[in-house]
Amino acid sequence: MDLDLTEEQQMVIDMTRGMLAEHSTTAIVRDMEDDPKGYPDTLWKQMSELGLNGLLIPEAYGGGGQTLLEGAFVYEEIGRAMAPTPHFVSCVMSAGVLLEAGSEDQKQAWLGRIANGDAILTPAWLEPQRGFGEAGIALEATADGDGFNLNGRKRLVAFASSAERLIVLARTAAGVDLFLVDPRAKGVQMKQLLSQGREAQYQIDFADVRVSSADRIGAAGSGWKTWHTVMLQGVILLAGSAVGGASRCLEETVNYANQRVQFDKPLGAFQALSHYMADASTRIDFGPMAKLFCCETYRETTRVCAQIWGGVAFTIEYDQQMFFRRAKALQLSWWDTPYLEELIAQDVLDR
Amino acid sequence: MDFDFSPVEQAFADEVDTWLVENHDPVVMDHHRENFSQLSDTPERRAFMKKLAAKGWLGMSWPKEYGGKEIEGVYEYILNEALSKHAAPQIGKGVGIIGKTLIRHGSDKLKKEFLPKVLDADVEFAVGYSEPAAGSDAANMQLKADKVEGGYLLNGQKMWTTSAHFADWYWVGARTDPEKAKHDGLSLFLIPMDHPGLEVQSLPTIGKDTTNQVFFENVFVPDEYLVGKRGRGFHMISEALDLERFTMFTLSPIAHRTEVLVDWVKKAKRDDAPLKDDPNVRRTIAQIVTDTAVAKGLSTRFVCAAKSGGKPPTIESSQYKLFTTSLSQRVCKDALDIQGHEGTLMEGQDDAPIMGRFEGAYRATMNETVGGGSSEIQKNIIARRHLGLPKNF
Repeated sequence: MDLDLTEEQQMVIDMTRGMLAEHSTTAIVRDMEDDPKGYPDTLWKQMSELGLNGLLIPEAYGGGGQTLLEGAFVYEEIGRAMAPTPHFVSCVMSAGVLLEAGSEDQKQAWLGRIANGDAILTPAWLEPQRGFGEAGIALEATADGDGFNLNGRKRLVAFASSAERLIVLARTAAGVDLFLVDPRAKGVQMKQLLSQGREAQYQIDFADVRVSSADRIGAAGSGWKTWHTVMLQGVILLAGSAVGGASRCLEETVNYANQRVQFDKPLGAFQALSHYMADASTRIDFGPMAKLFCCETYRETTRVCAQIWGGVAFTIEYDQQMFFRRAKALQLSWWDTPYLEELIAQDVLDR
Repeated sequence: MDFDFSPVEQAFADEVDTWLVENHDPVVMDHHRENFSQLSDTPERRAFMKKLAAKGWLGMSWPKEYGGKEIEGVYEYILNEALSKHAAPQIGKGVGIIGKTLIRHGSDKLKKEFLPKVLDADVEFAVGYSEPAAGSDAANMQLKADKVEGGYLLNGQKMWTTSAHFADWYWVGARTDPEKAKHDGLSLFLIPMDHPGLEVQSLPTIGKDTTNQVFFENVFVPDEYLVGKRGRGFHMISEALDLERFTMFTLSPIAHRTEVLVDWVKKAKRDDAPLKDDPNVRRTIAQIVTDTAVAKGLSTRFVCAAKSGGKPPTIESSQYKLFTTSLSQRVCKDALDIQGHEGTLMEGQDDAPIMGRFEGAYRATMNETVGGGSSEIQKNIIARRHLGLPKNF
């Protein structure tokens, strides 16, 4: 097994890190918290220009045609910088759904524009009092003539205010279907809800929202399979993001532990504290690209790091709190721990 | 060792609880402020403390000559547990460490000036021990107190003075004798919080509330506002912490969160099925409830040890603090894990589970394993004083 990076991979990492160091400083990340739009145009433009928005989209559709491995490297940097960007919802999940099941017309219409950052698409998936599984999709799509009427409520739809299309997971007579829905369509109502990770999240109500059959992605009843397949790719990238966040959080903590003196010694000289950091680094360095493991690593790292920073980690002024909140929010989003455990258990035990 | 309250103690606990139910006021009692709900920081909360004073519940353990009832500290523990269960302001600094230190070491002038005000809930204190370089290393205070004609001139900075923005008086440790050993060069002072040389700067926290840092610029303190003997500051601080375990930290808020979570899980549904039927949820709840019962046991243990007189229950108290603060964080984490993606919604957002209580509590409890003696400090205390292991720092 070759664990060394190729020159190209290292270049992508360096380029991404350099760009984010300038365009996703913690001051910028703070500014974007609870912002209705949630991302800065300058960052988005940079990501497009460097080819990051099209990274995983095939060259035939205007992208860079890279693999999930390159994607994970980029996501580690996105996580390190806590970059406020609709990249995941648009360039990973929405593009992924279209690539997996979209018609040629749908791919032609959207993939190129997603890749160059011109269009943002976002999935409308989760619902109140419903889980991450197929049974969680209750929003109704009732067949009516050559189209459907959508009725129901979606939650935690990220960056919806900037979206040109929503990819709505809905229940039809055939099962779960995916629809491209214009958020400006009649009957769509959006409301921003504040959440732990403080990214732009929306609750969206659908009241007799009309969609045509041409806006369905994939064959009737194939929506859940498509979604699940794309999620399996998505969580790999989020695992990378968690590792990035955890490693930055730890790095800053190690620096602090080397400088901060109590009882006439730097904090790092106390074994009780240095062992916390050693444990965290083992998890981070070893971390396979599994969201279950990496998100727990991220959360646990932010917890022990807060312990080392002491009181200042509790203040808004220090950046630690941003990692602390994001780590837990990421763990609870895009398949949480119980859901991932069940998937893995099924894979191991039920096959 | 008797683990139950005596009939008289139990009757007092019932009396306080009934009174708190009768005097329920959502403006005064707010569970969503988590640990900050113990502060008397608004006019309504101060009026509430006046009512407690009128009930004769302030200074119960003080000697009669200072207006107390000379009853056991356990009554103050019972009172604070009841207050914190209802998220009402608690008795603490005035009745506890400050009042008791003044009684033991204060001049007649300071006793006369402050003790009646404490009993009548007419004064709120801020406590200034921590500094940028004096966190876990509490004796490392650097705030300078230079001897001048008729008093002391204070210059420097304090951190984490939670009550600085509303208190009337500041109870401050400062270095009067820098040439002496670290623990022997500190003295205690009382300073009016509106002193023009004090500058209070807000430090917003990751929870709902704010704490403060306070800057001292040529703050003159007359000799008579030096508390006790010069150079005995750290010893008085340690003694007060050792003697005053009863009002230090309460279990009720954690027990309350467990209760609230259990109530919610009983009713909640996911994908139309009762959440309580999920075996993972059942297991998590069983663990939380068990650990909450253990915390209750540890709390009873240190209260019994404190009641029995003799040496201060330092070890019991450290074990309780270590276990309970970690449990407190775990309950919040587990609650969010049970709630899943909806757990990320903040207070005030459309039907956030339990009105966003645990999203907020996850943040608000982050500091519990740090403030009031970090978990690592508690472990050092247990290792050295209980197990007799050598000092290793």
